[in-house]
Amino acid sequence: MRLAAAELVDQREILPGQWLQSYHAPSLTAGVRAGQFVHVRTGDYAGLLLRRPFSFNTVDAATGILTIHFRTIGGGTEWLTRLRPGESVDMLGPLGKPFEVDRRSRHVLLIAGGLGMAGVRLLADEALRAGRQIVMLFGAATARDVYPSSLLPDEVEYVVATDDGSMGHHGHVTDLVPDYEAWADQAFACGPFPMLRALASLAAGRRARLGVASLGRKRGAGRTHATGSPEARRKAFLQVSMEQNMGCAVGACLGCVVMTVAGTPQRVCREGPIFAAEEIAWEAGW
Amino acid sequence: MKAKRKVVTSAGKAPVSQGTRSAIPRRRRPSRLPPLPTGRSLAIDPAVLSGEPRATRSQAIEAVDLSVDLAPRGSGLRLANPILVASGTFGYGVEYGEVVDVQRLGAICCKGTTLRPRIGNRTPRVTETPAGMLNSIGLQNPGVEAVVERYAPTWVGWDTKVIVNVAGESVADYVAVCRRLDGVPGVAGIELNISCPNVGREGLQFAIDADAAGEVTAAVRRVTDLPLLVKLSPNVADVRPIARAIADAGADALTAVNTLSGIALAADRRKPLLGNVFGGLSGPAIKPVALRIVYEVAQIVDIPVVAIGGVTELADVLDYLAAGAIAVQVGTAIFADPTLPVRLIDELAEECARRGLSSYGPLIGTALPRRPDAPSSKGVEYRP
Repeated sequence: MRLAAAELVDQREILPGQWLQSYHAPSLTAGVRAGQFVHVRTGDYAGLLLRRPFSFNTVDAATGILTIHFRTIGGGTEWLTRLRPGESVDMLGPLGKPFEVDRRSRHVLLIAGGLGMAGVRLLADEALRAGRQIVMLFGAATARDVYPSSLLPDEVEYVVATDDGSMGHHGHVTDLVPDYEAWADQAFACGPFPMLRALASLAAGRRARLGVASLGRKRGAGRTHATGSPEARRKAFLQVSMEQNMGCAVGACLGCVVMTVAGTPQRVCREGPIFAAEEIAWEAGW
Repeated sequence: MKAKRKVVTSAGKAPVSQGTRSAIPRRRRPSRLPPLPTGRSLAIDPAVLSGEPRATRSQAIEAVDLSVDLAPRGSGLRLANPILVASGTFGYGVEYGEVVDVQRLGAICCKGTTLRPRIGNRTPRVTETPAGMLNSIGLQNPGVEAVVERYAPTWVGWDTKVIVNVAGESVADYVAVCRRLDGVPGVAGIELNISCPNVGREGLQFAIDADAAGEVTAAVRRVTDLPLLVKLSPNVADVRPIARAIADAGADALTAVNTLSGIALAADRRKPLLGNVFGGLSGPAIKPVALRIVYEVAQIVDIPVVAIGGVTELADVLDYLAAGAIAVQVGTAIFADPTLPVRLIDELAEECARRGLSSYGPLIGTALPRRPDAPSSKGVEYRP
């Protein structure tokens, strides 16, 4: 965790209302892993007080460039789009726990809903570097909100679903998952809460449907790991990136918690934002 | 009969108010300063990050004594400086350790601690509001036993004093927690949170009723010699009788104020946004309210008042000092700028040096009116 001034290098509106910004911040890019985020200070105290959390979208440690992908939804994100190259913002990061890919996983399934692409995008780079095969399932409302395939690495197999059928599969992105659940060794998702909840229930029934358990595969089966531990995530078939209104982003204010099946709230900023899907109490109504 | 004109010396000392009723009260007020290059700027001063200022500060600034005793009437709670971090915004002091020099802070008020663990309120728990934020954490904490076991051993080794914020639902709760904290190495003091707006009615009741506030303060006073601060609620019609009752019951200092009760609505306006419906408003938005309460309370109690509410820059600290506070807590602004409290310490020392002061004492209470019971030296004929 470091505080640094990040200089805006480049920005463009990749989709209507969605921006991709590149910042030069060498002290923040070292050692970043997929799933982690930066906490960005926008505006000044006059109106905007809290920082805004953004997942690392891509990171190039060699040049010290990081990118963030966001939708303009309020004063803070609009302020960011008014920045000009050369201007700096104050960033705190890297924060949070990363996705943990089991080293035996060859086939990696990434599932993104809308802006959830920002949460899993970096994992595509990371998994490719490790020589894994990747399928990216992406869901959006309409064709005009579909993340451009040109911004993804060529090696990624990109499958799209739209709610209105204007591109790709007509329906939810979760409909596509059963086609890949036998192929995938592990899945990683980011998106709206209902999507993650649907994926979690799919993942929960996967072992029974595929009969994986009876094949005697060893993934530490039978052993239980502490909630929020890297081992618990690495062992899980589905890992999710959770979202919550955030205050401090370092674990001090306890504002951004999610309820877990253990009955203890866990901080999205410290123990998360990546959790094993089976750790989250999806029906708790938190 | 002729009124003697008071002489204002150029030494920078605030004139002692003797009750002189000259036509224009001659009080030295903080002069207008050029805008400070910090606080509002977005880029971080590299000097702040590298810890440079300490080495390069001039001797005059080094010579300024910022130390303060928050419990002069009791067992004493001497802090290196009057900048504290507010309960709930700094966790247990360890969370911000990687980016903040925690050892330099005057004191840390830790997250509200209760007798038993609490899981807190439903989410969403925080939201931004104009110049502020609403929170309804609901006192999530692991309970006093865990706090003592997990964090107190760390606090022992710190230069910074740690004041444990204590919350409860009954007098018995408060007493039990304070009894447990009494004598624990690393715990420098207690801040009674009798005004949390985010828990059941029982907890809030203490802060809105003078008798109940006095009762819980007295009960805690009987079981511990630790310096005892009591945090006032702004959600009352008149805070003065409550403050007086708390002071009379043996508190060492008052903290003013806790958050203001408020709500926000969900984007579709079909329901309130926060999981708990009601939240506590903090940040620059509440500063005028907090300043008013500090101003009111400082005039009627003899114990120190620690101000809290929307501090984002040195001018806010100076305002609170002028309104009668002897120390200031920084809260919500830490979320935006974690280095702010440490920077305020340096800026306050610089300000004192600039005015030729050896301590910040003369800055305290300069905006307060003459004490009502102070004798007039001029006689009745000058009264309006």
